[in-house]
Amino acid sequence: MCFKNLPVEFDSAGKPFLRDGVGDPYATATATAPEGPRQLTSDKIEELLKRNGHIKALDFDPVTRVAGALAFHTVADFEQRKILEARSVATLFRGYEVIMVGRDPRDAIFITSRACGVCGGVHSTCSALATEMAIGCCPPPQGILVRNLALALEFLYDHPLHLHLLAGPDYSQVIVEPTNPSLYARAKTTEARFTAIHGYRTIADLMVDLNPLTGKLYLEALHMTRVAREAYVMICGKYPHPQTIVPGGMSSTINLTVMNEMFVRLSQFFDYSKKLALIWDDLTEFFYEANPEYKKVGARRANMIDTGIFDHPDAYDATYESADDWGNKRWATPGAIVEGKLVTTDLKKINMGLEEFVEHSYYEDWTGEGQKPHFPTDPSGNPLSPYHPWNKVTRPRPQGQNWKEKYTWDTTPRWDRQGMEAGCYARLWNTAVAKRMPESPFMESTGHSLKMRVPAGALPETELEWHVPDVWNAFERNRGRAYCMAFTALIAFEQWRSIMERIKDGDTTTSTKFHIPKRGTQQGVGFWGAGRGYLTHHLTLDRGAVANYQIVTPSTWNASPTDRWGQPGPYEEAVMNTPLLEETTDPTKFRGLDVLRAIRSFDPCMPCTTHIQSEGGLITREVNTCACGLDE
Amino acid sequence: MRVIVGGIGYPDLCDYSIGIEVQERLSEREAPPNVVVEDLSYNPIAIIQRLGDEPPDDRFGRIVVVSAVKRGDRPPGTADCYRWDRVMPVDEEVQRAVTDAVTGIIAMDNTLVIANYFGALPEEVVVVEVEPETHEFGASLSPGVSSAFEKICDLVWSCATDDKFVAGLPSGSLALTVVPVMRFG
Repeated sequence: MCFKNLPVEFDSAGKPFLRDGVGDPYATATATAPEGPRQLTSDKIEELLKRNGHIKALDFDPVTRVAGALAFHTVADFEQRKILEARSVATLFRGYEVIMVGRDPRDAIFITSRACGVCGGVHSTCSALATEMAIGCCPPPQGILVRNLALALEFLYDHPLHLHLLAGPDYSQVIVEPTNPSLYARAKTTEARFTAIHGYRTIADLMVDLNPLTGKLYLEALHMTRVAREAYVMICGKYPHPQTIVPGGMSSTINLTVMNEMFVRLSQFFDYSKKLALIWDDLTEFFYEANPEYKKVGARRANMIDTGIFDHPDAYDATYESADDWGNKRWATPGAIVEGKLVTTDLKKINMGLEEFVEHSYYEDWTGEGQKPHFPTDPSGNPLSPYHPWNKVTRPRPQGQNWKEKYTWDTTPRWDRQGMEAGCYARLWNTAVAKRMPESPFMESTGHSLKMRVPAGALPETELEWHVPDVWNAFERNRGRAYCMAFTALIAFEQWRSIMERIKDGDTTTSTKFHIPKRGTQQGVGFWGAGRGYLTHHLTLDRGAVANYQIVTPSTWNASPTDRWGQPGPYEEAVMNTPLLEETTDPTKFRGLDVLRAIRSFDPCMPCTTHIQSEGGLITREVNTCACGLDE
Repeated sequence: MRVIVGGIGYPDLCDYSIGIEVQERLSEREAPPNVVVEDLSYNPIAIIQRLGDEPPDDRFGRIVVVSAVKRGDRPPGTADCYRWDRVMPVDEEVQRAVTDAVTGIIAMDNTLVIANYFGALPEEVVVVEVEPETHEFGASLSPGVSSAFEKICDLVWSCATDDKFVAGLPSGSLALTVVPVMRFG
């Protein structure tokens, strides 16, 4: 059965229906609490803090080396070396959903792109997909392929950026040596396994090149972002906010010259992705062998959700009715994973199970007493919760921070009322297990792993294999992301090959005509993915204008607060399971490294206009950037 | 000497768009052959790479950047002009600046700090700061900034084309942002 907690059952034909005899099927107050970890109550934490000198509050404000504004509150037991309470705080109101209301849906492509300063293209694309579904418009095959290629290139920018500029320094010599001197001493004498590919003799050599600003891996990542960006702008015009993504395809000009220039850049990622995967293999295994406690850093249940990405031109028809079919034919398979088991790959079930709650968020509940939802079903007649994004109304209500009440601008998305995690590794996991990906000479889904045959560059052709891990933690997130480089590069290569074949056949048509209906109500949803995983834009049109627009991003899931049942959000859960492994016994010298490793492993992407508070409580900094982690 | 004039800011962010507005206006003027006017409102890492693409024997000798900078102690529309003293923050701050840069923040101080750290800046760096008033979504400048707009354009133009004027400029420091904190409670 797909759902354990929602009152949805399936008939013999697989058609979902609401369980009989339930008065208010989506009621939250009377619902049975989902199984899973729980936060301690605020009263209990206060009592522990009062009674024990070794228990202290420890706040990270902001969490550095993440995109945007994230603060994190913990209560740590320095005697037991564990975290007792964890609270994830998105410190900013976003507002795109409010801006969108009343506008022409075509504006959404350009406005929602600004939700992120890294991955604007995924928002543009997701918006275009939502519009395509609402207005009934499907791109030509070449448009689908070029769109796939563009977004794969965006990820080739994004993944190295995270691995070696944001998360990588946590494993560098300048961080590891002072916090864990014995570990660094061991690294100096530990031979790396994959020297032949990445060139590093010892783990310590590798750690030195992960040093921020000066390390070769840090500087190489900066360079590779340029290579990806150059390829991206050939078909998108601008980075990070593309100018060529439209409902019905791409407005790019595609010819052999462009594609050859593209290949010069794309092919550089073959060798680079081999290096990245094996660097993170070496690092991960070193930490595990040095101290198995590292397997607990950032550990949480393997609950993941992903919408899949990269459509097959023979399958995608932009309709909701056929979403399960075209979704299952994507290069990266959609899926919901609960406790490590893939429970569905159907986009409609993924959509049906989605709810957003606001108990601990700075918003008012919109459902009302006895009020009927605007859309009790999806366009296929499947039941939808009043808390589903198509039924959501954005009602911001800023107020003071209180752990018992409200403490973040992020909402609490849940699937089947469970805390799910988003990440590029979720698409790797789904694809590996589902065995549904299109046939490819370069990739094979085995049911328990994903094999990737990466073509030769300066390095020989190399077969990489990502295995579904036994444990789920910070190291596996980073390792998964590193393998996603190869996965993404090969998907990009497959798109490039298909585009070239079609060009040879004279097909350079990348878009189709469309018109925005000026009458009636239409619904659409973009199921796409960001570099960090799951992304949906839910759209309602009324007489040609946007009546409702809701964005759920990867970090909306990951940074979500504790829900009404006491289940922590993914960052919170991961930090609560993290042991404090720094070697110092002096709390004043404690850097919170493993807590930060846990958080950064999710690749947090938070909001625009960051307000950072100093100890005096004053706003000391305002900036404008990425907003993809926040709700509105 | 070759000179690059760059506006830095965000479109449609009222006074915080002043860098772009000035750059667009100056692009309409007939520039001497040694002067290039560009929108530098993008990722500072990409700006470093763009400056590095110039021929090694003919790189820019001066960069003039114009942007909104909130100092709070001067009337809106005030334009302060100085040669940057290149006083740099600590490495942790440079690292923070790189993080901000690659994750989407566009800011003059970030651009200059990062470009200077990686040795990408021309020998002369001239900063034109404009005190903003309004910080919100919108296409219009506040009255204070709007009334000073033409003078700001002329000032930037002088920085690009008048060597004597630049030689007489004072040295000045950037308004850098603060280091984040980790707190024990």
